[in-house]
Amino acid sequence: MAAPMLNQPNSLLANMFAAGLLDDQFQELQMLQEGSAPDFIVKVVTLFCEDGERIIGEIAKLLDKPCVDYDKVGGFVRQLKGSSASIGALRVKNSCIQFHQCCQEKSKDGCVNSLDSVRNDFYDLCSMFKLHASAGPAGAGLPKQ
Amino acid sequence: MASSLKALLVEDTAVDRMVLSFMLRKFHCEVILAKNGKEDVDMFLEGNKFDIVVCDKDMPIMTGPEAIKKIRAMGATDVKIVGVSADDNAMEAFMSAGADDFVPKPMRLEVLGPMIQEVINMKNN
Repeated sequence: MAAPMLNQPNSLLANMFAAGLLDDQFQELQMLQEGSAPDFIVKVVTLFCEDGERIIGEIAKLLDKPCVDYDKVGGFVRQLKGSSASIGALRVKNSCIQFHQCCQEKSKDGCVNSLDSVRNDFYDLCSMFKLHASAGPAGAGLPKQ
Repeated sequence: MASSLKALLVEDTAVDRMVLSFMLRKFHCEVILAKNGKEDVDMFLEGNKFDIVVCDKDMPIMTGPEAIKKIRAMGATDVKIVGVSADDNAMEAFMSAGADDFVPKPMRLEVLGPMIQEVINMKNN
């Protein structure tokens, strides 16, 4: 079953592109990794997943307060949007764009719903990254947990 | 492309700092990091010299455009300053603050490369 296992990581990534989870910025990172830095994508994706989880947690705390500071929420959303764009996390980025709109409208319901979307898209992506990493030697280069 | 450029990267988001600094190092730049506009300005106040500054827009304590205005006002007119942002309205803010260029995020190697080469050419002339 070695051949299908070796093929699996590439088809997993292809599926992620096809599903709109990733865009061509991720391919830019793959090009950056070529040659001198074989662990670059591992580090970036690991950082994205850890930092993104922290940001989502901070946003959830802010939205839990009776009086929501939409500027602070917007600041965190902006950070997640930026880092999503930088690694090619297309769906998360697009969810953040919607979320930012709700922050500007100061809509609590909109923000709460947007947080759910962002959280789902974020964890879908990070789960796929972990699956890719656990798929074998060809999947090396992405975080395992 | 051989380069001995000293680059200051001003970026509050950790992932963006990692990606952008890696891109700059790909072009053999020495990269110094600042996490907000105030740290950016402090670098210049401490007498540091840079060939290029790559600066985000929205950051805590001091924004990129605010920092750029202060840096230019300090007399640092030779250093190339490139504003980067995912904000559609960022270009005007950066250019009116005194930046030389604006690049929408995410940064691409094919965009950064010619900018680095331009700075190298100016430095060699």
